[in-house]
Amino acid sequence: MKLRLNLIAEVAGICCAAALAAGGGLSRAQARTKSLDVRPPVTFNRDIAPIVFHSCTLCHRPGEAAPFSLLNYRDAKSHARQIAAITQSRAMPPWLPEPGPYQFADQMRLSSEQIELIAKWVEQGAVEGDAADLVHQPKFAQGWQLGEPDLVIKADKPYQLPASGTDQYWNFIFRTPAKKTRWLRAMEIRPGDKRLVHHANVLVDRMESARRQEKTEGAGFAGMEIKIESEAFDPDSHFLFWKPGTVPYSEPDGMALRLDAGTDLVLNIHLQPSGKPESIQPTLGLYFTDRPATQLPMLLQLENDRKLDIPAGAKNFVVEDEFTMPEDVMLLAIYPHAHYVGKDLEAFAKFPEGTKRSLIHIPNWNLNWQAVYRYAEPVQLPAGTVVSMHYVYDNSEDNVLNPNDPPKRVVGGNSSKDEMAHLWLQVLPVKQRGETGDLRTVLQEAMARHNVEKNSADFEAHYNLAAMLQRRGELSEALKQYEEALRLRPEDATVNNAFGAANMAAGRMEEAVRYFEAALRGRPEYFDAHYNLGMALALRNDFARAADEFATAVRLNPQDANAEANLGGALAAMEKWKEAKTHLERALVLDPNHSLARENLEEVKRHVGSGSY
Amino acid sequence: MALFLTIGPLLLLAQQQVLGLDGKVTDPFKKDPGKVVVLIFVRTDCPISNRYAPLIEQMSGKYVKQAHFYLVFPDKAESAKSIQTYLEEYHYSLQALRDPSHALVAKSGVKVTPEAAVYDAKRNLVYHGRFDNLYEEFGKTRRAATTHELADAIDAASRGSRPATESAAGIGCFIADVK
Repeated sequence: MKLRLNLIAEVAGICCAAALAAGGGLSRAQARTKSLDVRPPVTFNRDIAPIVFHSCTLCHRPGEAAPFSLLNYRDAKSHARQIAAITQSRAMPPWLPEPGPYQFADQMRLSSEQIELIAKWVEQGAVEGDAADLVHQPKFAQGWQLGEPDLVIKADKPYQLPASGTDQYWNFIFRTPAKKTRWLRAMEIRPGDKRLVHHANVLVDRMESARRQEKTEGAGFAGMEIKIESEAFDPDSHFLFWKPGTVPYSEPDGMALRLDAGTDLVLNIHLQPSGKPESIQPTLGLYFTDRPATQLPMLLQLENDRKLDIPAGAKNFVVEDEFTMPEDVMLLAIYPHAHYVGKDLEAFAKFPEGTKRSLIHIPNWNLNWQAVYRYAEPVQLPAGTVVSMHYVYDNSEDNVLNPNDPPKRVVGGNSSKDEMAHLWLQVLPVKQRGETGDLRTVLQEAMARHNVEKNSADFEAHYNLAAMLQRRGELSEALKQYEEALRLRPEDATVNNAFGAANMAAGRMEEAVRYFEAALRGRPEYFDAHYNLGMALALRNDFARAADEFATAVRLNPQDANAEANLGGALAAMEKWKEAKTHLERALVLDPNHSLARENLEEVKRHVGSGSY
Repeated sequence: MALFLTIGPLLLLAQQQVLGLDGKVTDPFKKDPGKVVVLIFVRTDCPISNRYAPLIEQMSGKYVKQAHFYLVFPDKAESAKSIQTYLEEYHYSLQALRDPSHALVAKSGVKVTPEAAVYDAKRNLVYHGRFDNLYEEFGKTRRAATTHELADAIDAASRGSRPATESAAGIGCFIADVK
């Protein structure tokens, strides 16, 4: 009898996780000044409309995020002083970065000259001007900005936003109905009433890990910062971000995002009460492409939350981190992130030849207007470039946004009263001649090693480093790192499962069984752990228990061909030919190319055919 | 010449009327003698005004024995109908007034919406300005206000005394923009 089991264990991977009218008598001095000023008065039609149409109307129009429209002279006149004041303070348009050596795409910052022109227009009485001077109003696409989406999905249940109170953070889980792997080239996030939403982020959840936080299925859950687990090497790769004025962005050819059957999209949304109760039920428009990804970008995170222990009253508390690029990359986008005590956020690149340039500088941080900034042209960061972040925090009462009154000690954490020191970079590794394979693994391993060196108590760093080492075949080093992760979180189901899998790969079946069982104590409905335990038991020739574990795995994921095939294999090993045949045939329905199932089925059929069951 | 002297003041009177939503001329200072009068200046398209709706409604209930609250709409473009819709949307039970000529605006010295004016029982203006310091500047909102100028002013006026702060500039939408 020739029976084999599928020896590809489900190996755990990455935890990613004015107004002076012209009238009136003029004194001689005034008259002299006036006669010297030969410039024509500032008018809306000639001077202001181009600024407003370019930098304001995108949001200040019906159905968009802004509270009033700025489509014409009348609209602008009825808010003229407000426009002058809010542009002077640079609160509008909302654009946090200072001009620097690198340009960002879709930059909304007004020049000092434009701001002065608006002020002058108001000072001179906010006149309309000659109709012939008026530039055309911008035309905006109605409805979906990129055309009708291939798939529209709506949140299962609405979230009821109270009329008053502090800002709210809510997470909606979209269960994508995709039955096979699709390639996502663009997504339009429609967060609901845009006036209520400060920003939104979509996270890709490939193992339904966010669902565990829902009290009622489909209702979503509260939380400002969420963590998504991943159990395969599949690092986050795309910023899926929405803020008022965001125009949906289509990824370049070859950089589509993979969306598998069963993948959840988690929309993390920051809402501000409006003064009346509101119901929010967001929608996502998905645009697919037939072109699979050929270029794989990756999100790298610099952070140093552990250093965030900011005494009450501290005005200039500094937190830094730096990371050396292990290979050539192109920096596509950057996303600095802190909470309400953050004040001055800056990131730098120190190039191998010694030059240091600012990648982004936000001297007046405001969480409410955080954004992902895409570079107009990718920034080349050769191997050896040191990317660093230098964040300054103000935990004094001078900081209006300070969540505590009086100020209290603030530490790193996930709630809005805690702080964060994060800098996300979207990079695209540059393939060198002759290089093959997934270049992101080099970055992932370097980042994990950097984090382990920075903080030996960083569970995820140990875990990710272990997974990368195991991937490279450095099994004994991987086992050491898993052990460190397990020491930090002895009951964590994911790491117990991964450690079990590494032990199994090392041929240590007793240990493997023990850790898979520990994983199942932590999470009884854990598909991977049942599957892996079945494998370990089968390799110990304990086919009865192995069959039980594979049967549970099949119940948890009836679409998994490997689980069905192995259940069939274990049953066949127990000479339960008829049952074995049923499961092997089902495995082949799920995956007609499953060679192992086919091979074992042939063997089983011989027994069935001989009537020996 | 005589014509000018006669018509001028008459026109002025006609323009400076404060109106109820029924279109009738209303004088908020004639009702409830002995009570404090609180004028709350708002615009329907001012997001900062709107966010204060629950607080104002709650305060008007809290001070119902001492003070009479009015919502004042200074934008002449806002019709009685649109104001009525707004009141329903934001669950306001306060009496609304239209001040298209900015008579109350001028009398109260307010500059932006939202701002309040507090008049004591003798109808002396004792406070005008912001409700509290929730908004310190455009785009910067405190998690919770740490000063409460409007409540302090009503408390003081109810006792017949002057509040510690007589004015504090508000952050919001300039009323002069809707002249």
